[in-house]
Amino acid sequence: METKEERQPQGFWYAEWAFPLFVAILSAGIFGGTHLYYVYHVGAFNDIAVVAMLEAGLKGGSFGAAAAFGASFLFARVLEGPLVGILDIGGSLQTGVGIGIPALMLSAGITAPLTSFPLALVTGAVLGLAIGAVIILIRKFTIRSANSTFGADVMMGAGNAAGRYLGPLIVISAIMASIPVGIGATIGAAVFYHYKKPIAGGAIIGAMLFGAIFPISAQ
Amino acid sequence: MDTWIIVVESLIIGALAGFGVGAGAARMFHAPKVQGMGAFRTFGELNACAGDPISHFSFGLGFLFNSWASVVGAGALTQDVEHRILPNWAAAVLLAKNQNVAETLHNPKKMAFAGAAVGAVVVTLLNSTAAAIPVSMQLVATKVLVPAANWLINPIMPIVFWMAAIDAGQRTGLWGTVLGGLSHLIMGNAVPGIVLGILIGKGVDDSGWNRITKTMVTAVVLLFVLSGFFRGFDAALLHSIQLDVPQWLIDLHKMFGSVVE
Repeated sequence: METKEERQPQGFWYAEWAFPLFVAILSAGIFGGTHLYYVYHVGAFNDIAVVAMLEAGLKGGSFGAAAAFGASFLFARVLEGPLVGILDIGGSLQTGVGIGIPALMLSAGITAPLTSFPLALVTGAVLGLAIGAVIILIRKFTIRSANSTFGADVMMGAGNAAGRYLGPLIVISAIMASIPVGIGATIGAAVFYHYKKPIAGGAIIGAMLFGAIFPISAQ
Repeated sequence: MDTWIIVVESLIIGALAGFGVGAGAARMFHAPKVQGMGAFRTFGELNACAGDPISHFSFGLGFLFNSWASVVGAGALTQDVEHRILPNWAAAVLLAKNQNVAETLHNPKKMAFAGAAVGAVVVTLLNSTAAAIPVSMQLVATKVLVPAANWLINPIMPIVFWMAAIDAGQRTGLWGTVLGGLSHLIMGNAVPGIVLGILIGKGVDDSGWNRITKTMVTAVVLLFVLSGFFRGFDAALLHSIQLDVPQWLIDLHKMFGSVVE
């Protein structure tokens, strides 16, 4: 692809030092979402499987899985972000700041940043500012000597490939939940596939429609 | 009452998140000169929609259904909100008025404000409808989605990432395998380890053992040692090979507030 390089964009919106500010604003929103989830059980900015790890901790188990998963993703993405020029929001901020750090706080008995909305926004902003600053620092030190994307393409490819499994998994899971729900999920998946939409979406909607008519027991 | 608090807080949260996502997404088009924020798939998908407002809108809409079902089922918005819906809908809003991507999609200022507006609406819509959904519907979604998502995280994702590491070359395969196995032992999931293995393997493939790759390996070793310690892996390992945990180790754990036997 030909890119035109006639001029390097200037000003605040393209500035290096503005980046930590954008990360701070986004992180404030994400941490606020985790606060909503903690208090009202809705609104966490992450995939079900990742939120389920935090939920496992909240349900009285250990926060270890959420903390370790979130922290290591954050770590990996903060290393990778400045090297490839794109910080992965999902791994670094949604999983790291939104799940990993709250799990660390909760396992240490700190609940205030999650129960108070203003404090959640401030906590998220401070964390984001720090992460953004670290990324700009790494960038300053490495960008000139590095000539590698550090396998970002491989990871993104694997991430996308893994996502494709979700649709069939939902259909199988629905079939194991109950016969009507399974039939609904199968039809929904087929309809969505026909219209070239993600299978997972159709499977979920089909399962829920049939589940509303033929409820499954709570056990 | 709760619903009102959720609506008000969601408006603020959505605006903040949308602002950051919009600015970060527009900056991706100027990477690597400018540090962007988003994801490679987000970048690719934005390019795939080729500045056509209808394409950007319908691409986001497809994922809105997934997110909606997910938030109803488990209170989780899914990463698609920030990776797909917000950037594509912000782009669609801007492109509806002006089809020139250089002045819209690639402009962090315009994308930030469009993102904030879209974010406030989308996040509030998702969070408030989820709270209003009857329990029986939530039960179905949870019963279906949670097991499926658990299977995805383990074992599907570890296997897919592992295969990708192996296919990417001998060195990434070796690092991915070793760190993946260790990561599954210590952190409970192989994916973070495999990702780090690919990072190291590809880094060494492309630029050799220099200051950056050596620092990375040191940091990774440190990460594994620390998370192993804080998860009590050392004590669990001694137990499983039928050895007693020495008192000094128990005391060391106690110093950091964790109890091991």
